[in-house]
Amino acid sequence: MKARLLAAVCAPFALLLLNPAGALALNVNENYHPQNEFRLDPWISIKIGGIDLSINKAVFYILLTALFTCVTMVYIARRMRDRPNRVQTAVETAYTLMRDNITGGNMDRGMARRWFPFVATLFLFIWFSNMLGYLPLPTNTEEKVNIFGAHIPSLALYAATANISIPLALTLVVWVSYHVEGIRAKGPIGYLKSWVPAGVEGPARIPIFLIEVISHFVRLVSLSVRLFANILAGHLLILFMGGGLVVLLNLAIAGSVVLGLLTGTLAVAFFLFEVGLVATLQAFIFATLTSIYLGGAVAESH
Amino acid sequence: MSTLVPFAAADAGNFLVKPSVGLMIWLLLAFFATLFILRKYAFPAIGEALDKRQRAIEESIDAATRTREEAERLLAEYRQRLTEARQQADEIVARAERAGEVHERETLEAAKRKREELLEQTRRDIEAETRRAIQEIRHEVADLTVAATEKVTRKTLTEEDQRRLVEEALSELDFTALSGTERSN
Repeated sequence: MKARLLAAVCAPFALLLLNPAGALALNVNENYHPQNEFRLDPWISIKIGGIDLSINKAVFYILLTALFTCVTMVYIARRMRDRPNRVQTAVETAYTLMRDNITGGNMDRGMARRWFPFVATLFLFIWFSNMLGYLPLPTNTEEKVNIFGAHIPSLALYAATANISIPLALTLVVWVSYHVEGIRAKGPIGYLKSWVPAGVEGPARIPIFLIEVISHFVRLVSLSVRLFANILAGHLLILFMGGGLVVLLNLAIAGSVVLGLLTGTLAVAFFLFEVGLVATLQAFIFATLTSIYLGGAVAESH
Repeated sequence: MSTLVPFAAADAGNFLVKPSVGLMIWLLLAFFATLFILRKYAFPAIGEALDKRQRAIEESIDAATRTREEAERLLAEYRQRLTEARQQADEIVARAERAGEVHERETLEAAKRKREELLEQTRRDIEAETRRAIQEIRHEVADLTVAATEKVTRKTLTEEDQRRLVEEALSELDFTALSGTERSN
């Protein structure tokens, strides 16, 4: 049994070595568009006042994220025990991390208490969204699977955060929040003045101020693109490694099997890497930067 | 070949980076709904449970500290008491030893005194006895002399003269040799 398995695995390699030119004959699949995995086709068309509010895959993921976040957290919160089980311990660890490190570490006590729900929701929302993104769900409406006559959308990976609109909207909320908080703490003029670092005097303040203005707008891009690009890149890697590349290059059978085995192994590695690290890390970074921006807006000088 | 770099084609993949207002509105709705629900139903309960446990832990630690301090205090007290008791015991033993010594000495001294008294008494008795014996010898010698004189002279002196003569004669004799010999014993 083992010998046969070994032979089956080795055969494509042998074929590849016997006839490399034939096995690696490139015949690019012009009909395959991997980016379409991320295209948003309206499932239910809704248009209000010229704004397209159609329900599509991304909206579905957003609503799913919100639902998962609320149900999970409320469920755990309602059955908090003095002697926690593993899930409760994990949630408590996350809660403590959000309260003491992310918010508490970047703001004073009163402000941290006021902003904790916002920052914690950001963290959890992004985390759940990222994690749901690695769960294969029947959302690929382009490719249907015929099961006993029912056309079920095929399983696909998608993440709401892999779409620029979602991180950008969250970033806008953060951006507006920290400016409002800064203005509330120092007044409009005082807040703008505080952009110039302490110690800069005279006419040098004008270019420095302009640079600071630019940096505030760059934050809009950096905060949103960091999250979006990380999640999109992760999904693309998994997509390509998990068969996309084989389909796209459309090699002869032996080459396809070898390529499939190699990229399939990598796909598992990338998947574990994304689920185990990137999903949580990006949520953490987004929440931490939000806290830093909020804390910086009210700080004496930054 | 253009599909090898799918995102280079302007119309192929630019929807990935084109923000959609509708999607953003959906997101804001979902996000703020989540924020509202978590803030109302999740965070307070979790925070409260954590604070409660924190308080419980702090109280336990405080209680443990108090108990340990109490135990240490008790231990120190018992140690001190033990030391005191030991000191007292030593003192009692020492006192008993001293008392024993004193008693022994006193007993010895009393016995010595008693012996000396007895010796003294004996000496005094002997002396008295000696004196009495000498006295008796004197009387005896006097009587014998009177009797002898009567036989020799056939003449009887008055009792009174007789005695006076003998006494005079005896006083010339020295009996100190007798008592002296006795004393030297």
